Amino acid sequence: MVRQVFETTAEPSSTHEDRWQPRKARPPAILIIPALLVSALTLSPIAYLLLREGLSVQRFLHEISSPTTSNLILHSALLAFSVTFVCAILGIGLALLVVRTDLPYRRVWTVLFALPLGIPAFVSSYTWVAASYQLAPQATFLYGLRGAVLVLSLAVYPYIYLPVVAALRDLDPAQEEVARALGAGAVEAFFRVTLPQLRVAIASGGLIIALHMLAEFGALELLRYPTLTTAIVQRVTVLSAPEAARTLSTVLAIGALLFLASDRLLRGRPTAVRTGSGVARRSEPWRLGYATPVWLIFSGTFIAIALGVPLFSMIAGMARVIGNSGAGVSWGELLEAAVNTGRYALVTAVVATVAAFPVSMLSVRYPGRLATLVERSTWIAHALPGVVMSLALVYLSVRWLYPLYQTSSLLIAGYVILFVPIAIGAQHVGVAHAAPHYDQISRSLGLGPLATLFRVTLPLAFPGIAAGAMLVFLNVGKELTMTLLLHPTGKRTLSTALWNTTNGEVLDFSTAAPYAIALVVITAIPAWVLVRHSLNPPRRPGE
Amino acid sequence: MLAIRRSSGALLALSLCILIVTAACGDGASPTATVATAPTATASAAATSTSTSGGTAATPTAGAETPTTAPESTATVSAAAPTATSTEATPSDATLTVYSGQHESLTKALADGFTKATGIKVEVRVGSDAELANQIIEEGDRAKADVFITEEPSQAGALDGRGLFEAVDPGTLAHVDGRFNPASGNWVAYAARSRVIFYNPDKISEAELPQSILDLANPEWKGKFAYAPSGAFTATVTYLINTIGEDATLEWLKGIKANGENLQKNGAIRDAVEAGQISFGLSNHYYWYILAQQQGGQDKLKSKVHYMSGGDPGALVLASGAGILKTSTHQAEAQRFLAWLTDADGGQQVIATTTPQYPLAPGVTSSMGLRPLDQLDPPAFDQGSLQDVSKARDLIIEAGIV
Repeated sequence: MVRQVFETTAEPSSTHEDRWQPRKARPPAILIIPALLVSALTLSPIAYLLLREGLSVQRFLHEISSPTTSNLILHSALLAFSVTFVCAILGIGLALLVVRTDLPYRRVWTVLFALPLGIPAFVSSYTWVAASYQLAPQATFLYGLRGAVLVLSLAVYPYIYLPVVAALRDLDPAQEEVARALGAGAVEAFFRVTLPQLRVAIASGGLIIALHMLAEFGALELLRYPTLTTAIVQRVTVLSAPEAARTLSTVLAIGALLFLASDRLLRGRPTAVRTGSGVARRSEPWRLGYATPVWLIFSGTFIAIALGVPLFSMIAGMARVIGNSGAGVSWGELLEAAVNTGRYALVTAVVATVAAFPVSMLSVRYPGRLATLVERSTWIAHALPGVVMSLALVYLSVRWLYPLYQTSSLLIAGYVILFVPIAIGAQHVGVAHAAPHYDQISRSLGLGPLATLFRVTLPLAFPGIAAGAMLVFLNVGKELTMTLLLHPTGKRTLSTALWNTTNGEVLDFSTAAPYAIALVVITAIPAWVLVRHSLNPPRRPGE
Repeated sequence: MLAIRRSSGALLALSLCILIVTAACGDGASPTATVATAPTATASAAATSTSTSGGTAATPTAGAETPTTAPESTATVSAAAPTATSTEATPSDATLTVYSGQHESLTKALADGFTKATGIKVEVRVGSDAELANQIIEEGDRAKADVFITEEPSQAGALDGRGLFEAVDPGTLAHVDGRFNPASGNWVAYAARSRVIFYNPDKISEAELPQSILDLANPEWKGKFAYAPSGAFTATVTYLINTIGEDATLEWLKGIKANGENLQKNGAIRDAVEAGQISFGLSNHYYWYILAQQQGGQDKLKSKVHYMSGGDPGALVLASGAGILKTSTHQAEAQRFLAWLTDADGGQQVIATTTPQYPLAPGVTSSMGLRPLDQLDPPAFDQGSLQDVSKARDLIIEAGIV
């Protein structure tokens, strides 16, 4: 359904078209060729890693056996698993709270719980570290795995929360009621009937989070938790050992493949889906009763921590800037950076949406080995550190596409490579919704294939497509490491300007605050639209 | 019915998207056009460092006019008037591209100051030394950078070692304290930072601090200090390899790894020492002065700076270098940038007043309350000798630090 914006399953699992089976026919070339091109584009950084001189089995073994490497791989894996696990608990728990209980002001909480999506991970860790120094200077609680899991989970859990909210609202309560009628308790019914149906939503959000954790750098440096990625970045930025960085990055790519494979396993066999027409009836909410104030306090505290800490540091910093009558901040530059960020994000959202469409059409309408390979391949680059992505693009463009080097176009190509899988994931849901039946009816009524695409398929798939574009927009705004290296000289974005005011070494958040606030405002817009989208589903055709 | 209404909405959205893309592409095209004019400047940018116009089509007469202007002429660009210096100002349409490993605020202050003084526009690209050096190497003979300014000597030396730098005007080299220039003369030192120890007197007294950073490999210091594998740390390791040899350096690094806490960034060391999380740490002097400035005075800080003495490697003074890429098509403007950067009335003033790093032109002293440069007791060495970081990198990795 439309609202499961993150779904990446190859199966159109929740269309209400019961009789329609995926065609076994060969997909048309008009889909295969663009999809393969997109796949090739997203694999180009991987090709660079493997083909650039300097990679050899010997070198690989040397890097793998260097004393720190195994420990760093362990750190990366631990971080990815722990953050994904904590996010799954938070995401499912909060979603149940706002969808399935009679908590007061549920709509407000639904929106508030989703908003951390708009704050970049490096900004929120920044504010956490700043707040920790301010409140408890000697405390080292925030550093290491514990702090990293805490801060990053609070920054990225919405990637699971949002699709689970959407999936929960879409579930037919009848199945759970049947389970209850057959004697299962509320808890057992939830675990045996409801949770399995949320698997796709959880797995797709979890995949985004796990791959993000493999690639995260800025936040982890601030939180003093070295991972394979921080080591790779240090090899490039301090030790001038790009060969070593490339070799270690192949390990991350392998890690990404493992996550992609386990994601397939997690989805497992299809579960029962609702096949009736119309919208599912709302389930009977669980009454919180006397526990209501407890849950209200819990929700308030949670938001105070997840949103309050970053906002507090930003607003306090902003207050200092205003108290200082704006000294140290150039408003013209701020505006320019904001315009650049907005423009890059917009253009990337459009380009990534167009690029993602053939891939999502292919994998929804012609599921099979080819479709799966193409769709999965687009994810691998998502786990590469931004530094390595930019090394690849600098190398490729200087040699073969020199006119593009240090232009906005190359930067946007980089963004598209990073974020096209996210757009594909969201489009899946929309495209699955635009079942081929409607195409056939349209064609039988005399419309040509192109007119059918524009007048039937795209409008039906539009909500999913729009959700994908929003997510891409948001992620471009938040991206830091690749932008630092690929931006056209002299063009600052909000995230690079924010980082450069501090170089991650100044805990005084004053000069950074206006940039952070502008960034959060820009990314909060798509985040908010996404939430509204999850709350007010557009009606299905024929209703 | 509904489908039709929806489709018109979708078409509207689609046409909006197309509009945006077209707008963005149109926008992207204009900078390319500006770039395209740059290579043609080579012809006019001859070796004459006094008066060359990098501009091409736009000011065809400039080249003809400038030779008549006396070298001591005052600024002809109106905006330049207040700060016009001995560096003669002639109008130029060239835009100088500076890659900078320095913090963004200092880089921008320098770029703005130069533009004000000369009318030559500057575009800056900020990153880490090693990142930008690698980017310049990848760019090869199509390098975008005209000038590369670094934080530390290693990467300036690395590019020099690859033969990528043009020789710097002898007059420019003579602007600064000659101890800090490399023997090659292919880059010029324009600022310096001292390696120091930050310590928290609540946890350790100055007298208890180690006499030499080499002692830190001894078990008695376990858990007492912090370090960060920064560029300056790497430079220290290269210096140690050059002086005490590879084996002893590796032993020392293993000791540091075993005894110290790796906080990744110099700034994090300062903050951790100031907050009392750890007794002391190895860092660069200016981080402490930046914090002092933010907190409203040196007496507002708990932590203190300890300068090592007796030529200890912990007292290294490292030069920030500026070099001109051979591939630059704006050689004359680039030489002028370096001349201005090292000028006692030009860039050195900017350094003295905007960053707590040491200016290097004789007679210019920092306004940041630094301990004067001539009161430091650093080991004497050729800054150019740190150019090969590959051994240091291998040892740092082998010791398990990164």
